[in-house]
Amino acid sequence: MTNSPRIPLTWTCEQTEERLTDYLEGLLQPEEQVAFDAHLAACPQCAPLLASVSHLLTDLHTMDEVESPPRLIYNILDKTLGPRDSVTGWRAALAWVRSLANPRVGYGFASVVATFLILLSSSGFNWRKPKLADLKPANIYRGADRQVHLVYARGTKFVSDLRVVYEIQSRLNQDEQQNPSQQERSRPQPSPSDPGRTDGTNPSYPKQQNRANGVERNMQMLAASLPALLERRAR
Amino acid sequence: MEQDAQLVQQCLQGDGSAWEELVRRHTRRIYNICYRFTGNAAEAEDLSQDVFFRVYKTLASYRSAYGGFATWMTSVTRNLLIDHYRRTKRDRVTDSLDDAMPVVENKASSARRPDELALLGELSNQIQSALTKLSPELREAVILRDLQQLEYGEIQRTLAVPEGTVKSRINRGRIELARILQQMGVRPS
Repeated sequence: MTNSPRIPLTWTCEQTEERLTDYLEGLLQPEEQVAFDAHLAACPQCAPLLASVSHLLTDLHTMDEVESPPRLIYNILDKTLGPRDSVTGWRAALAWVRSLANPRVGYGFASVVATFLILLSSSGFNWRKPKLADLKPANIYRGADRQVHLVYARGTKFVSDLRVVYEIQSRLNQDEQQNPSQQERSRPQPSPSDPGRTDGTNPSYPKQQNRANGVERNMQMLAASLPALLERRAR
Repeated sequence: MEQDAQLVQQCLQGDGSAWEELVRRHTRRIYNICYRFTGNAAEAEDLSQDVFFRVYKTLASYRSAYGGFATWMTSVTRNLLIDHYRRTKRDRVTDSLDDAMPVVENKASSARRPDELALLGELSNQIQSALTKLSPELREAVILRDLQQLEYGEIQRTLAVPEGTVKSRINRGRIELARILQQMGVRPS
């Protein structure tokens, strides 16, 4: 007996259909696989059917799960365990107190306390000698009003002082622009060294020389214009 | 699976929270089986409640040797679905293709584009509609295998039929479903 290659089985369409899932899952024996392929190659109906089932499996496996209704779990629990009892009386109060024991409530309480302390301090409450009378709303209001007026007065004074300073500065700049030749003359001549200095700097360098000249000039101008400014301020 | 068995033991000892945990763990799966079988959201919701009610009443009869709790629940679900199918057979009329309920698909992956999502949603509705045209035996086999991704052994235990029958039903169910979709003019993706 010679070893001749096996002759492919001649399968019918019914046989092919019966083994379709086995074929797709790779469960056919080699000779069955050959017979299946031979039938597919020759049958005009089974090849499209195989393609359809193969695509269907892909679609089925990519189908999404549907979301169950949110109330379903509670309906099931109500149906099996019965309606949940509503807690009343001191147990309800205890449950409410327990519900407060969470970080969110703690942070909220802390922020309220901090706000209260800040407001109390800003109203002029004396923490070193606290008095019960200071906690009266009228006294708190009075203290807060006083603090507000004090802050306002200090602010006004600060702004007024700033105005004076800017006015002096602008006057000095104005005079500087009007008399550039005088400044040139008053500039000291550069010297090779300044033996009296101990700070390690040399004012003969251009940058330091300019700064020294500027300070001196400003002082002179300030001295000249100060009486007039003070007189205006007094008015 | 072991956790389920432990929860069942706690339930049998009267622990309500253990039952609640079991319900939370299995509601979605049971609802999906019911929805895929009936193709109707309201019916699926009612049937899911009935399944859990029956499981709760017969929990003492569950034996872990029978299989996993999930398999046992699936078996109870399947029996209820078949009962429901037989009970409503007289009232049922041929479903229109337009009857598919719009249902929120859960795995609406953010990676998918809106047009892909729309196509997938439409295809999903068409397959769901075709599923309800299958006979209940083939339908349940396809749902358990291809939608619930159960192994042959689990399906065999759930349906209480030989493995050869399970394979045959799955095979016939797939071919039948593909033909129904072809008749509906649905092009495969």
